[in-house]
Amino acid sequence: MSKQIFLKLLVLMAVFALVATACGNDDSDAQGTATDSDPTSVPAENMDSDDMHDEVVAAFVYVGPVGDAGWTWAHNEGRRQAESATGASTPFVENVPEEGPDFRNFVVDFIENEQADVVFATSFGYMDAMEELAGEYPNVVFEHASGYKKNDTNFGNYFGRMYQPRYLSGMAAGALTATNQIGYVAAFPIPEVLRGINAFTLGAQRVNPDVEVHVTWTFTWFDPAIEGDSARALLEAGADVIAMHQDSTAPGLAAQDAGARWVSYNSDMSAFAPDAFITAPIWNWGPYYTRVIEAVQDGSYEPGAYWGGMADGIVDLAPLADDVPEAVVAEIEQVRQALEAGTWDVFTGEIVDQDGNVVVAEGETMNDGDMLGMEFLVAGVVGSATG
Amino acid sequence: MMRPVLVRRDRVLPATQALGFVVGIVGALVLGAILLLVSDNNPVEVYERMFDSALGGIDSLSRTLERATPLALTGLAVAVAGSMGLWNIGAEGQMMAGATLATGVAMMTDGLSGPLLIAVMLASGVVGGMVLMLGPALARSYLGVSEIITTLMLVYVSIRVVEWLEVGHWKDAGSLGFPRIEEVPAQAALPGLFGRVNIGALIALGLLVVFSLAVSRTAWGYELRLAGSSPNTARYAGVSLRRKILAALLLSGGIAGLAGAVQLTGTEVRLTPGLSNGFGFSGIIVAALALMRPSGVAVVAFVFGAVQVGGQSIQTLGVSSAISTILQAMILFSALAAVVFFNYRVRWAGAASEHSDV
Amino acid sequence: MAAIETDYAVWLRGIEKRFPGVIACDGAELKVRRGTIHALLGENGAGKTTMANVLAGVYRPDAGEVWVNGKRQTFRSPADAIAAGVGMVYQEFRLVPSLTVAENIVLGAASPLLRVVEIEEKVAELSDTYGLAADPSRPVWQLSMGERQRVEILKALWRNASVLVMDEPTAVLTPAEAAELGLTLRAMAVDGRSVIYISHKLDQVVAFCDEATVLRRGKVTATFDDLIDVDLAELAEKMVGASEVGTIKRLKSIQPGHAVLHLNGISARNDRGLPALSDINITVHANEIVGIVGVSGNGQKELAEVIAGLRKPSEGRMILGDQDVSGASPADRYRMGLAYVPEDRLGVGLAPKMSVVDNAVVRSYRSHRRGIFLAASKCIVFCKGLIERFGVRVGRLSHPIAGLSGGNLQKLLLGRELAEQPIMLVAAQPSRGLDVQGVVAIQGHLADQRNNGVGVLLISEDLDELLALADRLLVMFGGRVVGEYGPDVTPRTILGAAMAGRPPQ
Repeated sequence: MSKQIFLKLLVLMAVFALVATACGNDDSDAQGTATDSDPTSVPAENMDSDDMHDEVVAAFVYVGPVGDAGWTWAHNEGRRQAESATGASTPFVENVPEEGPDFRNFVVDFIENEQADVVFATSFGYMDAMEELAGEYPNVVFEHASGYKKNDTNFGNYFGRMYQPRYLSGMAAGALTATNQIGYVAAFPIPEVLRGINAFTLGAQRVNPDVEVHVTWTFTWFDPAIEGDSARALLEAGADVIAMHQDSTAPGLAAQDAGARWVSYNSDMSAFAPDAFITAPIWNWGPYYTRVIEAVQDGSYEPGAYWGGMADGIVDLAPLADDVPEAVVAEIEQVRQALEAGTWDVFTGEIVDQDGNVVVAEGETMNDGDMLGMEFLVAGVVGSATG
Repeated sequence: MMRPVLVRRDRVLPATQALGFVVGIVGALVLGAILLLVSDNNPVEVYERMFDSALGGIDSLSRTLERATPLALTGLAVAVAGSMGLWNIGAEGQMMAGATLATGVAMMTDGLSGPLLIAVMLASGVVGGMVLMLGPALARSYLGVSEIITTLMLVYVSIRVVEWLEVGHWKDAGSLGFPRIEEVPAQAALPGLFGRVNIGALIALGLLVVFSLAVSRTAWGYELRLAGSSPNTARYAGVSLRRKILAALLLSGGIAGLAGAVQLTGTEVRLTPGLSNGFGFSGIIVAALALMRPSGVAVVAFVFGAVQVGGQSIQTLGVSSAISTILQAMILFSALAAVVFFNYRVRWAGAASEHSDV
Repeated sequence: MAAIETDYAVWLRGIEKRFPGVIACDGAELKVRRGTIHALLGENGAGKTTMANVLAGVYRPDAGEVWVNGKRQTFRSPADAIAAGVGMVYQEFRLVPSLTVAENIVLGAASPLLRVVEIEEKVAELSDTYGLAADPSRPVWQLSMGERQRVEILKALWRNASVLVMDEPTAVLTPAEAAELGLTLRAMAVDGRSVIYISHKLDQVVAFCDEATVLRRGKVTATFDDLIDVDLAELAEKMVGASEVGTIKRLKSIQPGHAVLHLNGISARNDRGLPALSDINITVHANEIVGIVGVSGNGQKELAEVIAGLRKPSEGRMILGDQDVSGASPADRYRMGLAYVPEDRLGVGLAPKMSVVDNAVVRSYRSHRRGIFLAASKCIVFCKGLIERFGVRVGRLSHPIAGLSGGNLQKLLLGRELAEQPIMLVAAQPSRGLDVQGVVAIQGHLADQRNNGVGVLLISEDLDELLALADRLLVMFGGRVVGEYGPDVTPRTILGAAMAGRPPQ
């Protein structure tokens, strides 16, 4: 019996081998006509990008799945907007780990196989590899979201002043809490997240001075189980509004189950927990991606450290729930106009940290450098600034 | 009624196993082609890209070897324990422990020359992995506590430790408040060989040869195999089971720790909580596919690396990450299934003439 | 014919079952009447468990018929046997520790419509009927061994078993629990069910059972329809009696030499921590075979392990040659001249999955080293030497040893142990399960060793073998040596009585 199986497998293998060889032949022929026999074709690396192909190729590398409804979803929406606005081709890869060889391999494949002219990498952990690749491929533009490294020729970074809409979302949350306890499901203790918690808290305190914001750290960006559990723990401890900084919808579902309210993040997630949803500070990457691709198209690209605010539209506030009091809606609108006009910003004194130290004096406004390196939590936040 | 029963073959030729491996991969490619057609991709184009980016040239080969290196080390780590019938599920954690200790030592020893620093860091990697394994090894050999559970749990402990160091004592002052650990000194980078391959690949290959010989040819390896395959016979022959269990587990941990240090100095620039990147867990599959033989680990790690590199690369063609993952899993699973199949034969139970040989 | 068959709850007829190199059942028959407790007796390897597994659908017999409650059955799986009303309680319980008693009982056999409360009520009802006290809602991991056994019995009853097979049921029980088990089994018999009780604890068998079948080397040697007046000595003798090999020629007696092994006041515990040996004093001389007689389970296995150094005695000293080896390792004892053929050939004496060569050098690999390496050529030469000297028939030396027949395994094992001229040989059940040629060859080697000046301690369940080979016989019962006899002057009946724990004064 075993001999028979063995023979059958041998036959099968032979068939596969034939098929494989046949495919291989067809294929190399096809390639031959495309490259070797075409008299106009010239080796790619000697060519300027404009001569090589008509349209710009802008490749995107995502850390999460495009279906996460959060961070990666928002970037992917931006990519689609930019594609239709500029006519560029915009291939992408998702679920790319920050460590190990994957990221690098993808970027090299994009550049060498798909002739990418610009690479957008949308997670902080890609920063070191982006710097290295920018050195290796001086003719390709590298744009890195949420990092701080750059160079003078082809490597820039970009981010948005998410703290501005977070402040507005805090105002709405502060108005709707009955227990005066808001739970904040925080991701990692890094300046970006601390800034968000502080802005949110200051906004909540603006309309409700008694409010406390309770923070738990999940050390995740996308882990629905842990994030949902953290939200439930906060709800059980007395919070009746949940805010968050991850990419999943689990905290919202937990809030809805508990009859509590929810401020989501990244995108308008109202569909996932319609009864709980209050509003969300949201990303709108489309305009920035469009601008960079257009700059690459017309050769005017220059790297920078872009940090746009509500005035640029890169960050925004999702529509408010119907039960936010009219007076608060009006006040939010008023603050929004000040932020957009640049007449006022969130971290304007006096601001006191958890230990009672004055970190921003009355009448002063924190500069960008201090905001980008923020390491404290403001008074009224319950929880540690180091995780 | 007849029903199929798997019966282990008394002996399997290496050539038969290799054939099983190939049959499995080819079979998976055929199934994969259907999957690709259904998901609106061109299988010919996809497979061509897969092959090209994994094996189609010196650069591609270097990518495959870059991936195969940590897989070979973690696979060897699991196989060393496996040759004694022990399961080191926590190579992932020992990698982290090795990389952590190597980073710590690099921070403390300022100004060492490149080769010396590399040697010290790699040695610290081994020690780090062994230290993390010490608890499970002692618990297993003295108390009989399952090493499967303890090694696995320590994975999460070691990752948490790195997260804690990252926001705490080892936070780099120059990273604008971001929780990052300082880069390892530039002179600690493992010397490159070609493309993305560094001497880590040679270290892995060397260790595989050494352990392959040690297990099959030395008296120590004989005792290890004896203790693994028949513990009572080993006691009878005067082999201390306790010492063999300790030795196998500590070596396993040390090799995994070395894998961490090699990743740290070879492909990464700094210690992060994601440094182990699943290589420790993949090592379990590599070792299992290699039937716990160090000699097989080299082959399997290479194939595994090629499948991963090739499977990943097709995403830039527009194949979704889900399809790419399914395709990789199918190839590896089919290879495993085929190897198992070639180690067993099917007997139809219920046939009147068959005698049970239970 | 049919009229007779329906009288029996179980009729196993002409059962034959072979495993590679071993005949487990050789035309054995078992007839169990309804409403009786039937003892299936025999030494280890006599074929009891194989018979039980044939009845339980685990093994398919090579020949023979299985009749249950008057119907001829062909079991393809244990499920078929359960459906026919056969319930099996193994020595190793098959329960899920994290599930409750009730959940374990109904696992795989409950209608999905049943509610937990109903199940627990029904279980409680069954418990009451047969005196099987067990709280249905407790998780199994909390239960004692005796309670777990009750759960196993309840499991069989839940599946409406009319025949319950119990393999060594009292091995894990305390004496009080054993007595309770006796009552439960009687209640079941009164209820019209039948019990097959596999054991070699003769006193319990006589106390619990109505009938008995005695197996030896896969054949029935005796049946008893009534155990009320049966003599324990007679039962014991039937179990270890008449050898199939035929009469072995009695060895010519020679003058024993100096003492090579001396056990002084040895006591030891078994794997469960219970006393297994107490105050054993044995001396073996050169040119002498000392035979250990006894029904198995009376400390013989532990005795062999203590001598080999594989089991630590709780008390006592051991002298080998002229050295005190009480604290020495198994390997040290071997170096000092102690050879050991363990009862478990595969698993202790030999590593089944390793090659013939690897197994041949288990004792001597340290002397085949070349630096840190094991010299393959030296190992092969050594292995070939053994094979030639002891007439072992093997295939390729690199193949797993488990492929060899029982006789060849034993020849290789014995040869390996004798390779370096020992002064003392301990052989536990060396000829058990071997075919005739194997038995003759092994017995010949034992005699040669004794004639060449080696002291031999022969532990056997084969009384004829012992009577032919041993120069002195020691009878073990309950972990003690209860008598010493000269083989050529002692009637079997006296040995039988001693083996049953009642040595004549």
